Amino acid sequence: MIETFVMMGQGFMNALMPVNILAMIAGTTIEIVIGCLPGLSAAMGVALLLPMTFSMDASTGLIVLGAIYCGAIFGGSISAILIHTPGTPASAATAIEGYQLTLQGKAGKALGTACISSFFGGLLSCISLYFFAPLLAKLAMKFGSPEYFWLSIFGLTIIAGVSSKSMVKGLMSGALGLLLSTIGMDPMQGVKRFMFGQASLYEGINVTCTLIGLFSMSQALILAETKIKQRARASRFSDKMLLSRDELKMIAPTIGRSWIIGNLIGILPGAGASIACFLGYNTSKQFSKHKEMFGHGSIEGVAGSEAANNAVTGGSLIPMLTLGIPGESVTAVLMGGLIIQGLTPGPDLFVGETAKMTYTFFAGFVLIQFFMLGIGLLGCRGFAQISRLSDAILIPAVSVLCVVGSFAIHKNFVDVVIMMIFGILGYFVRKVGLNNAAIVLALILGPIGEKGLRRSLELSKGDIRILFSTPVCWVLIALCVFGILSPVLMDRMEKKAVKDAEESGS
Amino acid sequence: MKKTDIVVVAFMYAIAALFFKMTLELKAAAQTYPLFIIGLLVFLTTLYVLQMIRGARKNGITSGLEDFEGFLPKQFIPIVAMIVLYLIVMYAVGFWISTLLFMMFCLCFLKVKLWQSVLSTAAILALVYCAFTLFLHVKLPSGILL
Repeated sequence: MIETFVMMGQGFMNALMPVNILAMIAGTTIEIVIGCLPGLSAAMGVALLLPMTFSMDASTGLIVLGAIYCGAIFGGSISAILIHTPGTPASAATAIEGYQLTLQGKAGKALGTACISSFFGGLLSCISLYFFAPLLAKLAMKFGSPEYFWLSIFGLTIIAGVSSKSMVKGLMSGALGLLLSTIGMDPMQGVKRFMFGQASLYEGINVTCTLIGLFSMSQALILAETKIKQRARASRFSDKMLLSRDELKMIAPTIGRSWIIGNLIGILPGAGASIACFLGYNTSKQFSKHKEMFGHGSIEGVAGSEAANNAVTGGSLIPMLTLGIPGESVTAVLMGGLIIQGLTPGPDLFVGETAKMTYTFFAGFVLIQFFMLGIGLLGCRGFAQISRLSDAILIPAVSVLCVVGSFAIHKNFVDVVIMMIFGILGYFVRKVGLNNAAIVLALILGPIGEKGLRRSLELSKGDIRILFSTPVCWVLIALCVFGILSPVLMDRMEKKAVKDAEESGS
Repeated sequence: MKKTDIVVVAFMYAIAALFFKMTLELKAAAQTYPLFIIGLLVFLTTLYVLQMIRGARKNGITSGLEDFEGFLPKQFIPIVAMIVLYLIVMYAVGFWISTLLFMMFCLCFLKVKLWQSVLSTAAILALVYCAFTLFLHVKLPSGILL
């Protein structure tokens, strides 16, 4: 216990180094900009900026990624409030009440509420990150090869959860990703597999290139396919952004509830900030003493949505960091960032020297919330104008950044070609209802599952019973069943939340 | 059922067939895992085919083109062509010249005002120079002709 507190203290000392502070400011600012641009998602932004963390120290790189994640989720609220267009799906519920406040000339108040609620949502989510992550990591240390096999299968069942429309199509996407993950050297036999004569595929398809292609380049192509729209002019506002003591008192219980909701949703596989914002919004309405304000500009509604979607960030990092299981697309991209830094997500992150880096990241994650609040409050007026940036400029700009980002990984032109192939594949995958996130999850988890399965079978000389030999295996099997069934539950939950939100909005 | 789903199914079977052929060329001990994954992909694709047939009987067949609503081929195809051309030109003459040309041509094609085009191009080039050349020390492609 004392050791943990020492680690926490050391983490803050390291995180407060000037380079890390600069990284936090830069990461948060850049991603608030990306977040407030409608059409650019958080996952896309993280994938695009991933190569910039290559040459950084591991903890600084992770802090940048954390700042990017939090900034993007918050940034979405700016355009949601000012131009009624959520920058990211995570701010869809914020637009309902936020824009109503803008129409009443209270845009500053709405943005201030969003900043403060996002800050507290994110900050409180760090508590669960600090306390649950090490506990789960301790449990994961007892895992052997069979457990790791089931763990990857559990991760893969999440694919069903991240699938948008058809579960079978999601699973097909996952199977395609698994097949692509077999490209490269066979981990047990040392045989070259499906390398198409390319020596650069020796270690498999580069996950970062895949991420940039599937999330960022495909997004540029999606923007390119339809008529370039001129975005609405962001409303100018002159009212105060800071909230009065009474207003803070009013939103405090809402933030508390949304924190719990967001955290749980973050930990659950397959769920994400877009579900959390609607659940947070609905719950704030249910418990509000001013229900009549909902649909007509309620700061409680803005607080409920924003605190919940930012509380997801800390929660969703727990399964990714401790078990190596990314629950949704943004954490899958973040996991790619960890792998690039030479770190293996899982219990090892909490042992020895690596633990110092992990606790520095945790401390950085806490500090990021303060920077997000400061930058948000000071820069909202500027960010509001950036949200008008035309898609016509974004298309070539994003394309260039995709190219340069994928080249920077190994200074290899083949990576750029791979990124482009996955960009085009990602475009069609989206259009025909397959799932990009499922492909990425399978690409990341495929090798873990393959090694777990093949090592287990080698240890047992081919006896399949080894996969069912420990209680932990059975717990993981039960979780797999839950993973498969959870999408049905999540789908119902989201539909109900959206319906309730729409009813209160109209 | 959508007609575009037929293309999806055909693509999945084609990928499975390609990997199956390549798997048979591996030594026996290395074949098992890829074969399992190929089998899984074929099983899921077949399951989807059955769902499609059931859907077709129940709700009829649609073109699936509704997913491409608002699609502007006259805009999309030239942009994709420009990106591909950008990569080819970059391979030949390097990053800086190709990026300058790509940005300007693409922005002009998308009817962005000239001053905005110049400003955006300069901003992107400056960003890449600062972030990748100065900060990350990445040597960007110099081109085989230069």
